[in-house]
Amino acid sequence: MISTKHIVIRGFLAAAFTLSGVVGTASAADYSAGSQAKEWGLTEEEKALFSGKVVDILCELSGDCPDSCGNGLRQLGIVREADNQLITVLKNSQAAFNGAADDLLPYCNKAVEVDGLLIGDLEEVTAKYYMVQFIRNQGDADWNKTNLWTKEWARKNPGHEGKGPWFRRDPRVAAQIEARGHFGLGHDADQKYLEENE
Amino acid sequence: MRLGDLLVMGTDRAKTFFAATGIAVAALSGTAMAATKSDMVEIKGEVIDTWCYLSGVMGGPDAVTGSAHHTCAIWCAAGGIPVGVLAEDGTIYMVLKLEGEEPLAQTDSILKIQSDVITARGQHYLRDGVNYLVVQKVVANDGITNFNHEDYGPVPPFSGPKKK
Repeated sequence: MISTKHIVIRGFLAAAFTLSGVVGTASAADYSAGSQAKEWGLTEEEKALFSGKVVDILCELSGDCPDSCGNGLRQLGIVREADNQLITVLKNSQAAFNGAADDLLPYCNKAVEVDGLLIGDLEEVTAKYYMVQFIRNQGDADWNKTNLWTKEWARKNPGHEGKGPWFRRDPRVAAQIEARGHFGLGHDADQKYLEENE
Repeated sequence: MRLGDLLVMGTDRAKTFFAATGIAVAALSGTAMAATKSDMVEIKGEVIDTWCYLSGVMGGPDAVTGSAHHTCAIWCAAGGIPVGVLAEDGTIYMVLKLEGEEPLAQTDSILKIQSDVITARGQHYLRDGVNYLVVQKVVANDGITNFNHEDYGPVPPFSGPKKK
């Protein structure tokens, strides 16, 4: 005879197997349809256009939630609508070592669409990592290119205008190289390298 | 174990089975995400630039660590790219806080330890396969131990020292 308890377990089992199948399918899903992302030739790169919500990653994980997603001091991510996976965003669209927090911040806790590249070959990272190239509020027609980092850098660093990329003029970078040299091993190591590679 | 065997289990035993196999975790991921469990850990590893390491944009992983990549790691950290700790077993921990400081604070603390091998104690979170770390304390810093600039030179080449 099948008891109520067995029926409950049977129902739970069915739901568990069905949903685990859904999760597995979503993780391997193809998000490239409609993507206008620029290809970079990165590790296991996939174009990916999807919708989701911009989140403060630490808030999402722990409940430690300052106002406005940390106002630019925290790393932000995207919880993808299709499968609830937390996507760690490493980069914006700029080519000069720029993160994405400044570009995501205006969309803190908002529903967005993003277009960019999923990267990485770590099997355990089911959602992969993301380079966001374009973003817009859900429902908007126009995309915004993710290129705010250098503008924000210029605002934070008055008096450091000039030729060359920001990282050649950045006082924080310059202070570290001054302190430890280019290889982090002191200026003698820099000098030795130069002498051996003339 | 057959499906039929599960159906005649008691509820508690069934729960244990689901937890052990991870089926329930996967199935309930949507709701479980809101309260990600954490644990205290002590991790030893190199402080890395996650973008160059994971994307392969500058070459293989051996070239984008250590002294060869030190200046580029500083550029990336100053540029707001997430900093990671590459543990000895190959696991990457994304740093979400460093000794109470937010990761993008302009205090330079996170720049000063780029490429160093540190031992970090803190709160660890795991979600969707990504490991995150809130570093409460850097309990040891061995400095840079990988002198791979001797093999690779500066990576990228334009990050190296120049003659004055």
